[in-house]
Amino acid sequence: MQTSRRQFLKLTGAGAAAAAARLEAAPAFAQAAGPVKIGVLAIRAGIAAPVGTAGLRGTEWWADRVNKAGGILGRPVQLVVEEESNPKDTVERYRKLILQDKVEVVLGGISTGVTLALGPVAEDLGTPWLSWDGTTQKGVEETMPNPKWAFKSVDNEVEAIAAGILTAKYFKGVKTVAGINNDYSYGHDCWQSYLAVLKKLGMDVKPVLDLFPKLGVTDFTSHIAAIQKAKPDLLMTSFWSGDATILMKQAAAVGLFKTMKGVFTTAGGVHDSLKKEFTPEGLLLGYNSMYFDDPKGSALLKQFVREHKARYNEYPPYECDHAYFCAESYKAAAEKAAGGSRQWPAKAQVVKALEGIEVESLSGKRSWREDHVQMCNFFQGITTHKNGYDFVTVSPLEVISTKQAMKPAGTKLFDWINGWKA
Amino acid sequence: MTGGLVLILALLAIVVAPWVAPTYYLLLMLPFMAYAVVLLGLNLLFGYTGLVSFGHALFIGIGAYTGAFLAAHLTVRSMEVFLVAAAIAGALVAAPVAALCVRYVKIYFGMLTLAFGMVFYTFVLKFYRLTGGDEGLPFPRPALLGFPLDAMPKTDYLVGPYYYYSLAVLAVATLGMWRVVRSPFGLCLKTIRDNPAKAETLGIGVTRYRWYAFMISAVYASVGGALLGPPTGNVDPTLAYWTHSGNLVFMTLLGGFSSFFGPVLGAFVFIYLQNWVMSVVPYWRLIFGAILAVIVIFAPGGLMGLFARARPAEVARG
Repeated sequence: MQTSRRQFLKLTGAGAAAAAARLEAAPAFAQAAGPVKIGVLAIRAGIAAPVGTAGLRGTEWWADRVNKAGGILGRPVQLVVEEESNPKDTVERYRKLILQDKVEVVLGGISTGVTLALGPVAEDLGTPWLSWDGTTQKGVEETMPNPKWAFKSVDNEVEAIAAGILTAKYFKGVKTVAGINNDYSYGHDCWQSYLAVLKKLGMDVKPVLDLFPKLGVTDFTSHIAAIQKAKPDLLMTSFWSGDATILMKQAAAVGLFKTMKGVFTTAGGVHDSLKKEFTPEGLLLGYNSMYFDDPKGSALLKQFVREHKARYNEYPPYECDHAYFCAESYKAAAEKAAGGSRQWPAKAQVVKALEGIEVESLSGKRSWREDHVQMCNFFQGITTHKNGYDFVTVSPLEVISTKQAMKPAGTKLFDWINGWKA
Repeated sequence: MTGGLVLILALLAIVVAPWVAPTYYLLLMLPFMAYAVVLLGLNLLFGYTGLVSFGHALFIGIGAYTGAFLAAHLTVRSMEVFLVAAAIAGALVAAPVAALCVRYVKIYFGMLTLAFGMVFYTFVLKFYRLTGGDEGLPFPRPALLGFPLDAMPKTDYLVGPYYYYSLAVLAVATLGMWRVVRSPFGLCLKTIRDNPAKAETLGIGVTRYRWYAFMISAVYASVGGALLGPPTGNVDPTLAYWTHSGNLVFMTLLGGFSSFFGPVLGAFVFIYLQNWVMSVVPYWRLIFGAILAVIVIFAPGGLMGLFARARPAEVARG
């Protein structure tokens, strides 16, 4: 039998009358007629602030669109935004959204260091949480295989696996590789996954250098000198923020990519800063789950890109799509759970409806796997200057599904890769 | 007398809060009580000995990681074991660190503590297998006084038994520190703070007494760090980062380092003010920076200093 807090308080001598007098004992149906409060956690400071901003912009665009169309089950959407920062403070903000602001769902979460802490809190508080880009993986292994309330992003290393598959396709003659990745779990995991894929796909490559600069470093002069000295056939990096742009600039200054191939698994996150003047053609560049210039892109994507450019004078990165998908799938699940009525469903019903649901997102069809992990496409391609922008785009564009590049539920990453039929 | 009355009323409010306050505000009381323990210790060094540490997050990290490590690697679940182990680990690390740091004063002392704090931060970031690296370690719900309480929903556990447990630890820590600062030892520390040369001529071993103060302060910070673990459920390297040490100094200045309860008040105001400002404006760090500047320029005695100014007959007695 569970002991509730009130029972505990009674045991400690408070009495039922005092317990009943709690100020927060508001009626549960109070919100049913008002706006749907949706909590949003977004990084707003530091190196990942542009990622958080992109997610927030995607969510705000979705909310405007939904409200113009009459809301969810007739209720307008109201966003309650809080900051994602370190795990301790973000857990507090998460609890505030649910306990104080009484939101119906929380969207957001980017850093896996933070979302590892959020996962158990979401399960405790019994409100759906749809993570944009954070997982509950420890390294490359799942820590919450059967969550009830937590919905997680795609596995962190998917972009590196997709890049490995495409490396084998485009850069066949490569014999030696070097890696420069950030010194934290994401950087290490991407490098290990990438090498495992190359090996499995029969590329007889030898890693000659692995560098792990601290996240946030802005001078790669010594790293580039080390890379030049190692003379690899190919350089791989999972840099995803401004450091990708800086590395590209500093590499261009010494003509690094004139002598080796380049693989930037995640630099599409800062794609419009990769100017043609310092970003060569012929690199493999990953955009994660959304490519703004997808020639086969939907009308929805084209409208979003157009309006994003008009409003912010920037072309949107993939985080907008993660965020849009989370919000849109919540809406679809609420409507599905309502079963055609206007009755607002219980949170548990929405969660049930979310499992396996597929919706139209900015990048195309996306879904939630039964174990609450995002399923989507990853977009990567070879950089080109043949476009109307002042930055590189990719052609040809390759689309790799998470069905191909993400380990299935319940499997171990390296066992799964080693089990591929090459 | 008025001060005593305020203290009794404050204590009463904290005791009855779980019956009347919204759950979220009760949850914020948990980091408040943990930080209050940390700051009681920090202020022994800062307010009473005159040494400003910019690296005390090191000991918060030691305390938090000790509990998480025991849970993750040795499957220990007892909060009492976590607290005792945190205190011992804090003391063990502090002994050599303090021995090196207390040979210096002012900015040199501050920079040395900052350096040791960052060494530990780098250690927990790099030794992935031991510390979980940037992803940290889970801090599972501990048993309290031998009661596992696993069947309780976590939030109920936190704002019920854990709330009173933290309050009890804070009460013991407060009484202990009160005795320390009112003892001849405390008087020696104040003498050292005000005039180390004179203290030396009076036969007080200045370096030795500073070392004692540092040790006590580190043990308090480690115990507070262990208390911070269960509410978040995870410990991570940012607990030991230098900005966290900066927050501790901010809280102390906000409340007033020349008063015994100043840092405690500082922790309370900091946490609830941060909670409010963060929800109102995205640029809350700018506002906190401005508040810090205003305190340093216009109210160096902090909030307790303002109260004391309003009541000149009852100045802070330190």
